[in-house]
Amino acid sequence: MKNALHKMNPSIKFLAITICMFTMAFFFDPWTPLVFWIGVLVLQLLFTQISWKKWLLFMLPFFVTAFGYFWTTLVFAEDQSGPVVWSIWNLQVTQTQLNHALSLSFRVMAFSSLSLLFALTTNPVTFILSLMQQLKLSPKIAYGVMVGYQFLPVLKDEFVQIRQAHRLRGATKEKNALQRLFGIRRILIPMLAGAVRKAERAAFAMEARGFTGDRRSSYFHVITIGKVDFALVSLFLVVLVLSCSNMLWLRL
Amino acid sequence: MLKSWKLKEIVLMSLFAVVFGIVYLLFLHVGNIWAGFIGPIAYEWIFGIWFIVSIICMYIIRKPGAAVVSETIAAAIEVLLGNAVGPRLILSGVIQGLGAEAVFAATRYKRFDLWVLMLAGVGSSIFSFAYGYFLGGFTVFSTGYVALMLGIRIVSGALLAGVGGKAVADGLLATGSLRGYAISRSKKGEVRA
Repeated sequence: MKNALHKMNPSIKFLAITICMFTMAFFFDPWTPLVFWIGVLVLQLLFTQISWKKWLLFMLPFFVTAFGYFWTTLVFAEDQSGPVVWSIWNLQVTQTQLNHALSLSFRVMAFSSLSLLFALTTNPVTFILSLMQQLKLSPKIAYGVMVGYQFLPVLKDEFVQIRQAHRLRGATKEKNALQRLFGIRRILIPMLAGAVRKAERAAFAMEARGFTGDRRSSYFHVITIGKVDFALVSLFLVVLVLSCSNMLWLRL
Repeated sequence: MLKSWKLKEIVLMSLFAVVFGIVYLLFLHVGNIWAGFIGPIAYEWIFGIWFIVSIICMYIIRKPGAAVVSETIAAAIEVLLGNAVGPRLILSGVIQGLGAEAVFAATRYKRFDLWVLMLAGVGSSIFSFAYGYFLGGFTVFSTGYVALMLGIRIVSGALLAGVGGKAVADGLLATGSLRGYAISRSKKGEVRA
Protein backbone atom coordinates (compact mmCIF):
# COMPACT_ATOMS: atom_id res chain seq x y z
CA MET A 1 0.00 0.00 0.00
CA LYS A 2 2.70 2.43 1.02
CA ASN A 3 4.69 1.88 -2.17
CA ALA A 4 1.81 1.63 -4.65
CA LEU A 5 2.88 4.73 -6.58
CA HIS A 6 6.48 3.51 -6.70
CA LYS A 7 5.30 0.32 -8.37
CA MET A 8 2.79 1.98 -10.69
CA ASN A 9 3.40 1.65 -14.43
CA PRO A 10 5.49 4.74 -15.32
CA SER A 11 3.78 5.43 -18.66
CA ILE A 12 0.33 5.32 -17.08
CA LYS A 13 1.56 7.57 -14.29
CA PHE A 14 3.00 9.95 -16.88
CA LEU A 15 -0.28 10.11 -18.79
CA ALA A 16 -2.37 10.57 -15.64
CA ILE A 17 -0.17 13.45 -14.48
CA THR A 18 -0.21 15.10 -17.91
CA ILE A 19 -4.02 14.95 -18.08
CA CYS A 20 -4.26 16.48 -14.60
CA MET A 21 -1.94 19.36 -15.56
CA PHE A 22 -3.75 20.24 -18.76
CA THR A 23 -7.10 20.23 -16.99
CA MET A 24 -5.75 22.50 -14.24
CA ALA A 25 -4.67 25.05 -16.84
CA PHE A 26 -8.32 25.96 -17.51
CA PHE A 27 -9.05 27.19 -13.98
CA PHE A 28 -8.40 30.67 -12.66
CA ASP A 29 -10.04 30.53 -9.23
CA PRO A 30 -7.86 29.98 -6.16
CA TRP A 31 -9.77 26.97 -4.81
CA THR A 32 -9.37 24.50 -7.69
CA PRO A 33 -5.54 24.40 -7.63
CA LEU A 34 -5.51 24.56 -3.83
CA VAL A 35 -7.84 21.58 -3.43
CA PHE A 36 -5.91 19.75 -6.13
CA TRP A 37 -2.60 20.46 -4.40
CA ILE A 38 -3.97 19.10 -1.11
CA GLY A 39 -5.27 16.04 -2.97
CA VAL A 40 -1.83 15.39 -4.46
CA LEU A 41 -0.25 15.68 -1.03
CA VAL A 42 -2.80 13.21 0.39
CA LEU A 43 -1.95 10.75 -2.40
CA GLN A 44 1.71 11.25 -1.61
CA LEU A 45 1.08 10.63 2.09
CA LEU A 46 -0.94 7.47 1.50
CA PHE A 47 0.81 5.74 -1.38
CA THR A 48 4.47 6.76 -1.36
CA GLN A 49 7.48 6.51 0.87
CA ILE A 50 8.93 9.86 -0.14
CA SER A 51 10.86 11.44 2.70
CA TRP A 52 9.16 14.76 3.49
CA LYS A 53 12.48 16.37 4.36
CA LYS A 54 13.73 15.66 0.84
CA TRP A 55 10.43 16.84 -0.61
CA LEU A 56 10.62 20.14 1.25
CA LEU A 57 14.16 20.69 0.01
CA PHE A 58 13.08 20.21 -3.62
CA MET A 59 9.98 22.36 -3.16
CA LEU A 60 11.85 25.30 -1.63
CA PRO A 61 12.69 27.03 -4.95
CA PHE A 62 9.08 26.66 -6.05
CA PHE A 63 7.79 28.48 -3.01
CA VAL A 64 9.96 31.36 -4.19
CA THR A 65 8.63 31.04 -7.77
CA ALA A 66 5.04 30.94 -6.53
CA PHE A 67 5.65 34.17 -4.65
CA GLY A 68 7.03 35.74 -7.86
CA TYR A 69 3.87 34.76 -9.71
CA PHE A 70 1.78 36.14 -6.87
CA TRP A 71 3.09 39.67 -6.90
CA THR A 72 3.53 39.85 -10.70
CA THR A 73 -0.14 39.01 -11.15
CA LEU A 74 -1.10 41.69 -8.62
CA VAL A 75 0.93 44.38 -10.38
CA PHE A 76 0.45 43.43 -14.05
CA ALA A 77 -3.12 42.13 -14.02
CA GLU A 78 -5.33 42.42 -17.09
CA ASP A 79 -8.71 42.19 -15.41
CA GLN A 80 -8.98 44.87 -12.71
CA SER A 81 -12.70 44.66 -12.05
CA GLY A 82 -14.39 43.90 -8.75
CA PRO A 83 -14.29 45.57 -5.34
CA VAL A 84 -10.98 46.75 -3.92
CA VAL A 85 -10.00 44.48 -1.08
CA TRP A 86 -6.51 45.61 -0.32
CA SER A 87 -4.31 48.61 -1.02
CA ILE A 88 -0.57 48.95 -0.62
CA TRP A 89 1.02 52.31 -1.35
CA ASN A 90 -0.84 53.41 -4.46
CA LEU A 91 -1.64 49.91 -5.69
CA GLN A 92 -5.31 48.99 -5.48
CA VAL A 93 -5.83 45.23 -5.35
CA THR A 94 -9.27 44.08 -6.44
CA GLN A 95 -11.02 40.81 -5.65
CA THR A 96 -10.46 39.47 -9.20
CA GLN A 97 -6.79 40.33 -9.13
CA LEU A 98 -6.28 38.66 -5.76
CA ASN A 99 -8.14 35.54 -6.97
CA HIS A 100 -6.01 35.30 -10.11
CA ALA A 101 -2.80 35.85 -8.16
CA LEU A 102 -3.66 33.18 -5.60
CA SER A 103 -4.77 30.83 -8.38
CA LEU A 104 -1.50 31.11 -10.31
CA SER A 105 0.58 30.68 -7.16
CA PHE A 106 -1.35 27.60 -6.09
CA ARG A 107 -1.08 26.32 -9.64
CA VAL A 108 2.73 26.54 -9.42
CA MET A 109 2.60 24.63 -6.13
CA ALA A 110 0.20 21.98 -7.48
CA PHE A 111 2.25 21.45 -10.66
CA SER A 112 5.55 21.15 -8.81
CA SER A 113 4.14 18.74 -6.21
CA LEU A 114 2.69 16.61 -8.98
CA SER A 115 5.99 16.64 -10.85
CA LEU A 116 7.95 15.81 -7.71
CA LEU A 117 5.54 12.95 -7.04
CA PHE A 118 6.54 11.55 -10.43
CA ALA A 119 10.25 12.28 -10.15
CA LEU A 120 10.64 10.82 -6.66
CA THR A 121 8.69 7.62 -7.30
CA THR A 122 9.90 6.66 -10.78
CA ASN A 123 12.97 4.67 -11.72
CA PRO A 124 14.41 6.29 -14.88
CA VAL A 125 15.32 3.03 -16.60
CA THR A 126 11.88 1.54 -15.93
CA PHE A 127 10.33 4.70 -17.32
CA ILE A 128 12.20 4.39 -20.63
CA LEU A 129 11.46 0.66 -20.89
CA SER A 130 7.82 1.34 -20.21
CA LEU A 131 7.71 4.12 -22.84
CA MET A 132 9.06 1.60 -25.32
CA GLN A 133 6.76 -1.26 -24.33
CA GLN A 134 3.51 0.57 -23.60
CA LEU A 135 3.69 3.79 -25.63
CA LYS A 136 5.50 2.28 -28.64
CA LEU A 137 8.54 4.53 -28.50
CA SER A 138 11.09 3.51 -31.14
CA PRO A 139 13.74 1.17 -29.62
CA LYS A 140 16.43 3.14 -31.44
CA ILE A 141 15.52 6.24 -29.45
CA ALA A 142 14.78 4.38 -26.23
CA TYR A 143 18.17 2.63 -26.10
CA GLY A 144 19.88 5.78 -27.38
CA VAL A 145 18.48 7.73 -24.45
CA MET A 146 19.52 4.98 -22.09
CA VAL A 147 23.11 5.10 -23.37
CA GLY A 148 23.16 8.84 -22.72
CA TYR A 149 21.77 8.36 -19.25
CA GLN A 150 24.39 5.73 -18.39
CA PHE A 151 27.16 8.06 -19.56
CA LEU A 152 26.19 10.72 -17.04
CA PRO A 153 28.77 9.76 -14.37
CA VAL A 154 31.48 9.48 -17.07
CA LEU A 155 30.70 12.97 -18.32
CA LYS A 156 30.72 14.28 -14.77
CA ASP A 157 34.23 12.89 -14.26
CA GLU A 158 35.32 14.39 -17.54
CA PHE A 159 34.02 17.80 -16.50
CA VAL A 160 36.16 17.66 -13.36
CA GLN A 161 39.19 16.47 -15.34
CA ILE A 162 38.93 19.26 -17.91
CA ARG A 163 38.65 21.87 -15.19
CA GLN A 164 41.63 20.42 -13.35
CA ALA A 165 43.65 20.33 -16.57
CA HIS A 166 42.83 24.00 -17.19
CA ARG A 167 43.83 24.91 -13.67
CA LEU A 168 47.05 22.89 -13.93
CA ARG A 169 48.15 24.88 -16.95
CA GLY A 170 47.07 28.16 -15.42
CA ALA A 171 44.40 28.76 -18.00
CA THR A 172 41.68 29.76 -15.57
CA LYS A 173 41.74 33.23 -14.23
CA GLU A 174 38.03 33.70 -13.71
CA LYS A 175 37.29 36.25 -11.08
CA ASN A 176 33.71 37.36 -11.55
CA ALA A 177 30.54 35.63 -12.60
CA LEU A 178 30.54 37.14 -16.09
CA GLN A 179 34.01 35.76 -16.91
CA ARG A 180 32.90 32.41 -15.58
CA LEU A 181 29.87 32.44 -17.85
CA PHE A 182 32.03 33.08 -20.92
CA GLY A 183 34.59 30.58 -19.66
CA ILE A 184 32.00 27.85 -19.92
CA ARG A 185 32.68 27.67 -23.66
CA ARG A 186 36.24 26.49 -22.94
CA ILE A 187 34.81 23.57 -20.99
CA LEU A 188 31.79 22.91 -23.17
CA ILE A 189 33.65 22.31 -26.44
CA PRO A 190 36.09 19.67 -25.17
CA MET A 191 33.20 17.99 -23.38
CA LEU A 192 31.09 17.91 -26.53
CA ALA A 193 34.04 16.67 -28.59
CA GLY A 194 34.46 13.87 -26.07
CA ALA A 195 30.73 13.18 -26.25
CA VAL A 196 30.88 12.83 -30.05
CA ARG A 197 33.64 10.22 -29.77
CA LYS A 198 31.85 8.32 -27.01
CA ALA A 199 28.63 8.32 -29.01
CA GLU A 200 30.36 6.85 -32.02
CA ARG A 201 32.07 4.17 -29.98
CA ALA A 202 28.89 3.22 -28.14
CA ALA A 203 26.87 3.06 -31.37
CA PHE A 204 29.47 0.84 -33.08
CA ALA A 205 29.57 -1.44 -30.04
CA MET A 206 25.79 -1.77 -30.03
CA GLU A 207 25.63 -2.54 -33.71
CA ALA A 208 28.50 -5.01 -33.45
CA ARG A 209 26.43 -6.92 -30.89
CA GLY A 210 23.48 -7.20 -33.21
CA PHE A 211 21.38 -4.16 -32.28
CA THR A 212 19.33 -3.22 -35.33
CA GLY A 213 16.84 -0.85 -33.78
CA ASP A 214 13.90 -2.96 -34.87
CA ARG A 215 10.99 -3.64 -32.56
CA ARG A 216 11.25 -6.95 -30.77
CA SER A 217 8.51 -9.34 -29.82
CA SER A 218 9.76 -10.09 -26.32
CA TYR A 219 11.75 -8.23 -23.68
CA PHE A 220 14.02 -9.27 -20.86
CA HIS A 221 12.48 -6.73 -18.48
CA VAL A 222 8.74 -6.86 -19.00
CA ILE A 223 6.85 -3.84 -17.67
CA THR A 224 3.23 -4.72 -17.01
CA ILE A 225 -0.03 -2.90 -16.45
CA GLY A 226 -2.09 -4.28 -13.57
CA LYS A 227 -5.24 -3.62 -11.58
CA VAL A 228 -3.31 -1.36 -9.20
CA ASP A 229 -2.56 0.98 -12.10
CA PHE A 230 -6.24 1.37 -12.93
CA ALA A 231 -7.06 1.94 -9.26
CA LEU A 232 -4.40 4.65 -8.98
CA VAL A 233 -5.48 6.36 -12.21
CA SER A 234 -9.03 6.43 -10.86
CA LEU A 235 -7.74 8.00 -7.66
CA PHE A 236 -5.94 10.70 -9.67
CA LEU A 237 -9.16 11.34 -11.59
CA VAL A 238 -11.18 11.49 -8.35
CA VAL A 239 -8.81 14.15 -7.02
CA LEU A 240 -9.08 16.02 -10.33
CA VAL A 241 -12.89 15.90 -10.42
CA LEU A 242 -13.17 16.84 -6.74
CA SER A 243 -10.97 19.89 -7.23
CA CYS A 244 -12.69 20.98 -10.45
CA SER A 245 -16.13 20.70 -8.87
CA ASN A 246 -15.14 22.49 -5.67
CA MET A 247 -17.83 25.17 -6.11
CA LEU A 248 -20.44 22.46 -5.72
CA TRP A 249 -19.33 21.13 -2.37
CA LEU A 250 -17.08 23.86 -0.99
CA ARG A 251 -19.68 26.50 -0.04
CA LEU A 252 -17.80 29.73 0.47
CA MET B 1 11.41 9.11 -40.49
CA LEU B 2 13.71 7.13 -38.23
CA LYS B 3 14.66 4.64 -40.94
CA SER B 4 17.23 6.99 -42.46
CA TRP B 5 18.82 7.69 -39.09
CA LYS B 6 22.06 6.05 -38.10
CA LEU B 7 22.35 4.78 -34.56
CA LYS B 8 25.44 6.92 -33.96
CA GLU B 9 23.44 10.04 -34.76
CA ILE B 10 20.80 9.15 -32.21
CA VAL B 11 23.37 8.31 -29.54
CA LEU B 12 25.14 11.58 -30.38
CA MET B 13 21.94 13.53 -29.74
CA SER B 14 21.45 11.64 -26.52
CA LEU B 15 24.95 12.44 -25.25
CA PHE B 16 24.57 16.10 -26.24
CA ALA B 17 21.29 16.04 -24.39
CA VAL B 18 23.09 14.86 -21.26
CA VAL B 19 25.72 17.62 -21.48
CA PHE B 20 23.10 20.29 -22.14
CA GLY B 21 20.66 18.69 -19.71
CA ILE B 22 23.06 19.67 -16.96
CA VAL B 23 23.41 23.20 -18.39
CA TYR B 24 19.60 23.44 -18.68
CA LEU B 25 19.08 22.40 -15.08
CA LEU B 26 21.64 24.97 -13.95
CA PHE B 27 19.77 27.70 -15.78
CA LEU B 28 16.45 26.43 -14.45
CA HIS B 29 17.65 26.92 -10.88
CA VAL B 30 18.96 30.39 -11.69
CA GLY B 31 15.59 31.15 -13.34
CA ASN B 32 13.61 29.84 -10.37
CA ILE B 33 15.44 31.99 -7.90
CA TRP B 34 15.15 35.08 -10.12
CA ALA B 35 11.47 34.41 -10.71
CA GLY B 36 10.84 34.88 -7.01
CA PHE B 37 12.08 38.44 -7.22
CA ILE B 38 11.00 39.66 -10.63
CA GLY B 39 8.20 37.22 -11.49
CA PRO B 40 7.86 34.88 -14.47
CA ILE B 41 9.60 37.40 -16.75
CA ALA B 42 12.85 36.17 -15.18
CA TYR B 43 12.81 33.08 -17.38
CA GLU B 44 12.44 35.07 -20.60
CA TRP B 45 16.01 36.45 -20.70
CA ILE B 46 17.56 33.00 -20.51
CA PHE B 47 14.88 31.11 -22.39
CA GLY B 48 17.00 30.78 -25.52
CA ILE B 49 19.45 28.47 -23.79
CA TRP B 50 16.72 25.79 -23.66
CA PHE B 51 16.46 25.69 -27.46
CA ILE B 52 20.19 25.40 -28.11
CA VAL B 53 20.37 21.61 -28.37
CA SER B 54 17.84 21.40 -31.22
CA ILE B 55 19.74 24.01 -33.22
CA ILE B 56 23.16 22.45 -32.62
CA CYS B 57 21.93 18.96 -33.52
CA MET B 58 20.13 20.11 -36.66
CA TYR B 59 23.18 22.13 -37.73
CA ILE B 60 25.38 19.04 -37.32
CA ILE B 61 23.13 16.20 -38.50
CA ARG B 62 20.92 17.99 -41.07
CA LYS B 63 18.17 15.43 -41.33
CA PRO B 64 14.44 16.01 -41.04
CA GLY B 65 13.42 15.59 -37.42
CA ALA B 66 16.81 16.37 -35.87
CA ALA B 67 15.50 19.45 -34.08
CA VAL B 68 12.39 17.96 -32.54
CA VAL B 69 13.92 14.58 -31.67
CA SER B 70 17.00 16.09 -30.03
CA GLU B 71 14.99 18.59 -27.99
CA THR B 72 12.63 15.83 -26.85
CA ILE B 73 15.55 13.60 -25.85
CA ALA B 74 17.13 16.51 -23.97
CA ALA B 75 13.89 17.06 -22.09
CA ALA B 76 13.57 13.34 -21.34
CA ILE B 77 17.15 13.25 -20.02
CA GLU B 78 16.40 16.29 -17.87
CA VAL B 79 13.47 14.38 -16.39
CA LEU B 80 15.66 11.29 -15.86
CA LEU B 81 18.28 13.37 -14.07
CA GLY B 82 15.53 14.05 -11.57
CA ASN B 83 14.17 17.52 -11.29
CA ALA B 84 11.04 19.00 -9.88
CA VAL B 85 9.60 20.32 -13.13
CA GLY B 86 9.07 16.72 -14.05
CA PRO B 87 7.16 15.04 -16.86
CA ARG B 88 5.65 18.20 -18.34
CA LEU B 89 9.18 19.12 -19.48
CA ILE B 90 8.95 16.37 -22.11
CA LEU B 91 5.94 18.06 -23.66
CA SER B 92 7.59 21.47 -23.62
CA GLY B 93 10.63 19.84 -25.24
CA VAL B 94 8.50 18.49 -28.08
CA ILE B 95 6.86 21.87 -28.61
CA GLN B 96 10.14 23.83 -28.55
CA GLY B 97 11.64 21.34 -30.98
CA LEU B 98 8.66 21.66 -33.32
CA GLY B 99 9.14 25.44 -33.41
CA ALA B 100 12.72 25.09 -34.65
CA GLU B 101 11.80 22.19 -36.92
CA ALA B 102 9.11 24.28 -38.64
CA VAL B 103 11.71 26.87 -39.68
CA PHE B 104 14.15 24.26 -41.01
CA ALA B 105 11.31 22.51 -42.83
CA ALA B 106 10.34 25.82 -44.44
CA THR B 107 13.84 26.01 -45.99
CA ARG B 108 13.45 22.33 -47.01
CA TYR B 109 16.49 21.49 -44.88
CA LYS B 110 18.76 23.17 -47.43
CA ARG B 111 19.96 26.32 -45.71
CA PHE B 112 21.87 26.31 -42.48
CA ASP B 113 23.35 29.82 -42.30
CA LEU B 114 23.24 32.11 -39.32
CA TRP B 115 19.95 33.73 -40.31
CA VAL B 116 18.10 30.44 -40.55
CA LEU B 117 19.53 29.31 -37.20
CA MET B 118 18.43 32.57 -35.59
CA LEU B 119 14.98 32.18 -37.14
CA ALA B 120 14.82 28.66 -35.76
CA GLY B 121 15.48 30.12 -32.31
CA VAL B 122 12.65 32.59 -32.90
CA GLY B 123 10.38 29.72 -34.02
CA SER B 124 11.08 27.85 -30.79
CA SER B 125 10.41 31.03 -28.83
CA ILE B 126 7.01 31.54 -30.40
CA PHE B 127 5.91 27.91 -30.07
CA SER B 128 7.06 27.64 -26.47
CA PHE B 129 5.44 30.96 -25.60
CA ALA B 130 2.07 29.81 -26.90
CA TYR B 131 2.38 26.69 -24.75
CA GLY B 132 3.51 28.65 -21.70
CA TYR B 133 0.70 31.17 -22.24
CA PHE B 134 -1.80 28.37 -21.86
CA LEU B 135 -0.19 26.33 -19.09
CA GLY B 136 1.19 29.25 -17.08
CA GLY B 137 -2.09 31.14 -17.22
CA PHE B 138 -0.59 34.29 -18.77
CA THR B 139 -4.09 35.41 -19.82
CA VAL B 140 -4.43 37.17 -16.48
CA PHE B 141 -1.49 39.47 -17.21
CA SER B 142 -2.01 42.74 -19.07
CA THR B 143 -1.41 42.72 -22.83
CA GLY B 144 1.61 45.03 -22.63
CA TYR B 145 3.32 42.82 -20.09
CA VAL B 146 2.70 39.68 -22.18
CA ALA B 147 4.04 41.43 -25.30
CA LEU B 148 7.17 42.43 -23.38
CA MET B 149 7.67 38.82 -22.26
CA LEU B 150 7.27 37.54 -25.81
CA GLY B 151 9.65 40.18 -27.17
CA ILE B 152 12.38 39.31 -24.70
CA ARG B 153 11.92 35.63 -25.38
CA ILE B 154 12.25 36.11 -29.15
CA VAL B 155 15.48 38.10 -28.74
CA SER B 156 16.78 35.49 -26.32
CA GLY B 157 15.88 32.67 -28.71
CA ALA B 158 17.60 34.34 -31.66
CA LEU B 159 20.76 35.28 -29.74
CA LEU B 160 21.33 32.54 -27.18
CA ALA B 161 20.04 29.64 -29.27
CA GLY B 162 20.76 30.86 -32.81
CA VAL B 163 24.06 32.74 -32.48
CA GLY B 164 25.21 30.77 -29.43
CA GLY B 165 24.33 27.43 -30.97
CA LYS B 166 26.22 28.22 -34.15
CA ALA B 167 29.26 29.38 -32.18
CA VAL B 168 29.35 26.16 -30.17
CA ALA B 169 28.86 23.93 -33.22
CA ASP B 170 31.50 25.81 -35.24
CA GLY B 171 33.92 25.51 -32.33
CA LEU B 172 33.22 21.81 -32.24
CA LEU B 173 33.72 21.50 -36.00
CA ALA B 174 37.16 23.09 -35.63
CA THR B 175 38.22 20.30 -33.28
CA GLY B 176 37.77 17.80 -36.11
CA SER B 177 35.62 15.44 -34.13
CA LEU B 178 32.61 15.89 -36.37
CA ARG B 179 34.06 14.01 -39.33
CA GLY B 180 31.43 11.62 -40.57
CA TYR B 181 28.52 14.00 -39.98
CA ALA B 182 26.69 16.09 -42.53
CA ILE B 183 28.16 19.37 -41.25
CA SER B 184 31.76 18.56 -42.23
CA ARG B 185 30.74 17.08 -45.56
CA SER B 186 28.88 20.22 -46.54
CA LYS B 187 31.93 22.37 -45.76
CA LYS B 188 33.89 20.52 -48.41
CA GLY B 189 31.64 21.93 -51.10
CA GLU B 190 28.83 19.47 -51.36
CA VAL B 191 25.50 21.21 -51.14
CA ARG B 192 23.89 18.65 -48.93
CA ALA B 193 25.52 15.44 -47.88
